[in-house]
Amino acid sequence: MLPAEIIFGLTGVGLFTLGLRATLLHGSLLARILAINVCGAGVFLMFVSIAYQGAAAMPVPDPVPHALVLTGIVVAVSATALALALGRRLRESADE
Amino acid sequence: MNNLLIWPVALPLIGSLLALVWPRRADWAGIGASVAALAVAGLVAADVMRHDSLELAIGGWTPGLGIALRADGLSAALLLMSSLVALATAIYATNYFTDAHKRADFWPLWLLLITALHALLLSGDLFNIYVTLELLGLAAVALAALGRTRAALQAAVRYLTVGLLGSLAFLTGVGLVYAAYGTLDMSTLAGQVRAEPAAWVALALMTSGLLIKSALFPMHFWLPSAHANAPAPVSAALSALVVKAAFYLVLRLWLDVFDVALGPAAAGMLGVLGAFAVIWGSWKAFRAERLKLLAAYSTVAQIGYLFVFLPVLLASAPGAARDLVFGALVLFALTHGFAKSAFFLGAGVVLQRAGHDRIAELGGTARALPVTTFGLALAGIALIGLPPSGTFLAKWQLMASAIEVGQWLWIPVIAAGSLLAGAYVFRVLGHAFGPGEGVGPALAWARQELPALLLAVVATAVLGLGAVHVWSFVVPGLAIGGIQP
Amino acid sequence: MNALLWTLLDLLLAAMLLGLGWAAVATRDLKRGVALFIAFGLLLALAWARLRAPDLALAEAAIGAGLAGALLLAALRDEPRHEKLAAAHSRAGLWTLNLLSVLLAVVVAWALLCALEMGEGLRLAGAVTDHIGQSGVSNPVTAVLLNFRAYDTLLELAVILSAVLGVLALGPARRGYGLPGPVLGGLIRWLVPLLIVTAGYLLWVGAHAPGGAFQAGATLAAAAVLLRLGGVDRAGLPAAAVSRWLLAAGLLVFLGVGLSLAGLGYGFLQYPAGLAGGLILVIESAATLSIAVALALAYVGGWSRSGSTQPDSTQGGSH
Repeated sequence: MLPAEIIFGLTGVGLFTLGLRATLLHGSLLARILAINVCGAGVFLMFVSIAYQGAAAMPVPDPVPHALVLTGIVVAVSATALALALGRRLRESADE
Repeated sequence: MNNLLIWPVALPLIGSLLALVWPRRADWAGIGASVAALAVAGLVAADVMRHDSLELAIGGWTPGLGIALRADGLSAALLLMSSLVALATAIYATNYFTDAHKRADFWPLWLLLITALHALLLSGDLFNIYVTLELLGLAAVALAALGRTRAALQAAVRYLTVGLLGSLAFLTGVGLVYAAYGTLDMSTLAGQVRAEPAAWVALALMTSGLLIKSALFPMHFWLPSAHANAPAPVSAALSALVVKAAFYLVLRLWLDVFDVALGPAAAGMLGVLGAFAVIWGSWKAFRAERLKLLAAYSTVAQIGYLFVFLPVLLASAPGAARDLVFGALVLFALTHGFAKSAFFLGAGVVLQRAGHDRIAELGGTARALPVTTFGLALAGIALIGLPPSGTFLAKWQLMASAIEVGQWLWIPVIAAGSLLAGAYVFRVLGHAFGPGEGVGPALAWARQELPALLLAVVATAVLGLGAVHVWSFVVPGLAIGGIQP
Repeated sequence: MNALLWTLLDLLLAAMLLGLGWAAVATRDLKRGVALFIAFGLLLALAWARLRAPDLALAEAAIGAGLAGALLLAALRDEPRHEKLAAAHSRAGLWTLNLLSVLLAVVVAWALLCALEMGEGLRLAGAVTDHIGQSGVSNPVTAVLLNFRAYDTLLELAVILSAVLGVLALGPARRGYGLPGPVLGGLIRWLVPLLIVTAGYLLWVGAHAPGGAFQAGATLAAAAVLLRLGGVDRAGLPAAAVSRWLLAAGLLVFLGVGLSLAGLGYGFLQYPAGLAGGLILVIESAATLSIAVALALAYVGGWSRSGSTQPDSTQGGSH
């Protein structure tokens, strides 16, 4: 059977590239932010798939990528917050 | 246990927290932390001179399981440059922000930026570098947007999205490295990397991310607007330090970690992009109508030179020949750091006093602001690469080594870039020394004019005359007599 | 047979992830895009659970889908519904982009498969298992985050701080919401205390089970989001001067512990044997508060309009 790390690792690669493509394609900031987040989710999925390799033989999967991804999720939400605030301020400056 | 290496990171971070909780004392927190950071950077440099390299395994865990901080000649030299530029810029900033809110917003973010820079320079772990890149990127974007003008906000948005894509590309490469080699520690990795698909793709992804962040042509499109629309002290740090941090990582990856996985063609490609950057950036700087935009395009060109060094460096035979090029590369990076920060700070003084920075209307500036004009001129000498600046020696060495390894192609690029640089610098000076009303009363703004001048003096005189020491610091075993080709 | 079933389920989950991810970024209707993205985040949490990463499942639900979703929904209020695609998309340009994307996907996929083949699947997991006894906690993810790679986490707190300082530097908060209807109001009165208790539990349990400072901080921030939705403009945040201290608290304690240990002759962040568990709990408690305040402030979008924005003022009455 196809091991889970391969299935989800490749899914991660797919999400990474489709997010990247959409970021380059979209004009509006909010759409770009969504795309970057999908792109990042793809990278995180690659990491967690790597952690899962050989997990069947171990009590737990490799915890290091899990910790790295947790860091990554928090970084992503911070960047999203800053980007949205910039977008809001930009809109206000257009209205003024 | 020697904990010295944590202090260049911890001190600006402490300063940032103090500035956050005591906004009224933020100036003092900023200056205090900058002085202290410079002092420990000096200690790190002194220790590197004695021991060649330093390591701190954080938490006492073996690097790999834990994270190691490391310093050698390259990182210590950049650390010293960065903390010197940061201190001069901080002194300048105390007189720059007149609004109490802006000041309170500026200091914590500024010190976080310095924290990120120092953490990046000292980190020996790939994922940790990703975190420092994100910290650097977010703090830089927040600072670039401080002016809150529409142009600044638009530039900041683009800076942020482009930077995030760069970080994600880098992070993907880190994931591949971990999957293939099971470690994130760079010195452990250096012994394991082979020429194989995982290493190639990982290096390509990480390098692309860093090229975006270092604004190498044609990925430079975000830089001019972001650097030109930020407040002057921020522009100085972005152009002099932040872009260079990404280049430093390229250097680390290519020279120390992935050197066995590389063919000469790869470095040649970066060199060609660098050559385009030199010509295009210098041309756009020559055509720029505003002083700060000129400085920003000049950064695009100067980053180009750094990448032109790479193919020559990798083609030189390991040993004395390569060390000579490497020393010249570091000298170039240091000189540009001082010169460009001096130039941006000087441009900031002009902009604040005259209310604009349109080059064609700078007439009379020399009479009204003699110190600043002199500083701009000195910085300009270093940007062109005239003697006695450090850039002159660095370019000389680059050309000599290029001839030695048979890469003639770079010589006309360097020559054309220098001519264009001469043209854009003298265009500014021509207008500044020209007749005109000047930019207001000739009032001494010592806290703003002197830092810029001092930085320019370091770029033009100190680094040029003391170049031998830079070489021997960066490449310890080098025979000094061999510097002149 | 069992293995075949798992593979089929995996393929189904993977296909749904790709489909939802695609749909979220392909739609021209931003509101739809945000809704799909939140659904995508929840599905991702399911994928983390499937890949035996329960810490991530919790974090994704609370932060990735939850808070990011709340931020995006709030931003939708300011955005026009339909977005325009960037201008320069000729047919040729679009196809070049598509071709390059496929090429990139193939190359990265190839490298990933090669890399997975090279790794024996153990990597650092063995080293973590060997040393977890000395780490002071028994949840391996917490051991990595707060001990082996604590320095990453320290800098990560700085990342959150720089983002929220950037938000605060951009100006005052957006206007809040009106008073809620009785149902929402009642729900909020009931949910907020529950969220606070949950946050406390997550913080405590992180030492030996999935949970920890980030999940706990995000849960607390979720309580603030609910309060704001319920008409409390300041979302339960204390006055600006106090909030500044709370923002700094996590890093102050983290650095304080690390540097004190260095001063006592240990290495930076080298916890002495026996004290590790306690020190980690102290650091995590302070970090939880800072994360919660930072995320709540980022959601509110700045210092409250009603209070003074003076950098050193203590704010006036609450709502």
